[in-house]
Amino acid sequence: MSSKNLAYNSLWQRLVRSHAFYAWLLIAPAALFLFTIVGWPLIETVRLSFTNAGLGGEEYIGFYNYEKLFSNRKYPGIVGRTFYWMFLSVSLKMILGLIGALLLNVKLRGRAAFRVLVMPPWIVPMAIGCIGWLWVYNGHFGILAGVLMHLGILDGPFEFLAYRNSAFYSAVITDVWVGTPMVTVFFLAAMQGVSQDLYEAAYVDGASRWYRFRRITIPQIMPVILTMALLSAIWTFNSFEIIWILTEGGPRGATTTMIIDTYKMAIANYKFGYGATRALMVVMLLAIFSLLYLVLLNKVNERFKVK
Amino acid sequence: MATVSLKSINKWFDSSQVLYDISIDIEDKEFVVFVGPSGCGKTTLLRIVAGLEDVSSGEVEIDGIDVSSAHPIERGISMVFQSYALYPHLSVFENIAFPLRVAKTPKAKLQEMVMRAADILRLTDRLEHKPGQLSGGQRQRVAIGRSIVRQPKVFLFDEPLSNLDAALRGEMRVELSKLHKSLNATMIYVTHDQVEAMTMADRIMVLSEGKLEQFGTPMDLYHHPKTKFVAGFIGHPKMNFLTASCLSIDSDGVKVELPAIGKQLLPVEPIKVNQGEELEVGVRPEDLMLSETGKGLPLKVDVLERLGGSTLVYGSLDKYPNFCAMLQGDANVREGELVNLDVKPASFHVFDSNGNAMKRREVPEILK
Repeated sequence: MSSKNLAYNSLWQRLVRSHAFYAWLLIAPAALFLFTIVGWPLIETVRLSFTNAGLGGEEYIGFYNYEKLFSNRKYPGIVGRTFYWMFLSVSLKMILGLIGALLLNVKLRGRAAFRVLVMPPWIVPMAIGCIGWLWVYNGHFGILAGVLMHLGILDGPFEFLAYRNSAFYSAVITDVWVGTPMVTVFFLAAMQGVSQDLYEAAYVDGASRWYRFRRITIPQIMPVILTMALLSAIWTFNSFEIIWILTEGGPRGATTTMIIDTYKMAIANYKFGYGATRALMVVMLLAIFSLLYLVLLNKVNERFKVK
Repeated sequence: MATVSLKSINKWFDSSQVLYDISIDIEDKEFVVFVGPSGCGKTTLLRIVAGLEDVSSGEVEIDGIDVSSAHPIERGISMVFQSYALYPHLSVFENIAFPLRVAKTPKAKLQEMVMRAADILRLTDRLEHKPGQLSGGQRQRVAIGRSIVRQPKVFLFDEPLSNLDAALRGEMRVELSKLHKSLNATMIYVTHDQVEAMTMADRIMVLSEGKLEQFGTPMDLYHHPKTKFVAGFIGHPKMNFLTASCLSIDSDGVKVELPAIGKQLLPVEPIKVNQGEELEVGVRPEDLMLSETGKGLPLKVDVLERLGGSTLVYGSLDKYPNFCAMLQGDANVREGELVNLDVKPASFHVFDSNGNAMKRREVPEILK
């Protein structure tokens, strides 16, 4: 192209040819899609949280919902319970996942079969799995009460989901049951990625099994452990179906986490505005938690990084 | 002090046998190389010595004590892996210190031993780095450092140089030889590279398909290969082989019919072969020279490789398409030309139809 032609190029032509424009053009479909399914609902939730939206229409009410929420004496308990629920469940998933992955990584005949057998809690639709657990926890017909009575630990039928403490820990157990297989599979994949040579070198140098686990396996899979812990924490924080099917947040709010609380308020009580406020609290707390976590993750990765 | 004896070692993986009745005695402070093509069982044998594999039958003795079922640490060995097996999350210092940490060495002593190893291997300014930040040669030295801090009786190396480029490999070869002299320890070294074997070893064991072909000094293997396999494996470029029928045998050697040359008496110590039996006659490329008389083996030159100091001539000779001659200097030869090659009768190697060598009579000075 001659320099004369270049001079005639319109602004539009230059814009179209610029790298930045082309880049934006390529990103546009994905950006639009993300805005539609993430951005817009989020903005709408923020908007709703400043209204008294309900079945009877909506009206702007400023920060009233927030004032009401922060002066609610029960709310701090729900937040605390949610974090306790998350901490307990995620810790158990991580520990059990690690043990499971270790066991499944052992060279053993029929190892593939065991690897498949670990999957059902994850594969079975959650609702069906939870209904199974409803029967397990059933006081009169459940296997748990039955076995405990048979062993003489329980005197008579015990309805696990009917008491505050037992209901909470029963829900934790079910949540761990559902969440562990995926953690296990991810840890197993990470462990298989560790070069066998490292273990052999350590073995030749006299390192015991425990030593090799502590100084090779754990550091080598640390990035995966931390990533899984974060993902698992977010999922557990927002775990809804399990609690809802088992206890619907009861008895007397003993299993009501923030997400259950939000659902009850927004959907069950038709208080969309007030519910949106609570949903935003979930978003903000999770965002802060994730941010802190990612900072930590970066630090740890720095320490264990290969290069 | 450490001698290593392997006594009729057999190894099966499931139903396939990978090592057949291997017996050798390695002397104290000796540098022994196990060499052979891929899949010949040399690494398996090394892992058996290390204690990473069990023997199916036979015994491994170190210093006269049967250690066949002992833990590597009790055997007093240390091993350098082909992949180096450095711990990527640990610094160079911690990598070298790893065996000492396992052994719960006191801090001051540990510090001192690691520093000494780092000093020998010129890694002092790299101690805080992670293995990922090092070059191939440095990683190699870290792996060696980790094996020397343990002060083992026997060092085992599993193809330690195969991941390095050619120049570095040459350098590390010299370093390893020096290290062997300064550490005064027994070393067993596995490689598929016969140049490494020839340059570093006190003695070489050649393995082929799990069987011991020959165990001897490099020059012994070069001048007196016991089998056709060893003759073809040791030496570069490879030895040329011709088939020739045996005309007669007497105490002076065997008389054979060679292409173009005709009847020729080869001075070897004959083993029992039948008259008329097909023999394999081998001649090394470096034993061939341009004929000045216009007689000798006629080679139709296909490709020339001029290396300056020598010229490699590839071509076809009679019915043998891949014949090679290594001529001194810038040989006056052109591609496409027919040249005649001379060879001393004493330079020929003779093998029976099973590949067993007849010992050559001419013995080079160095072996006398």
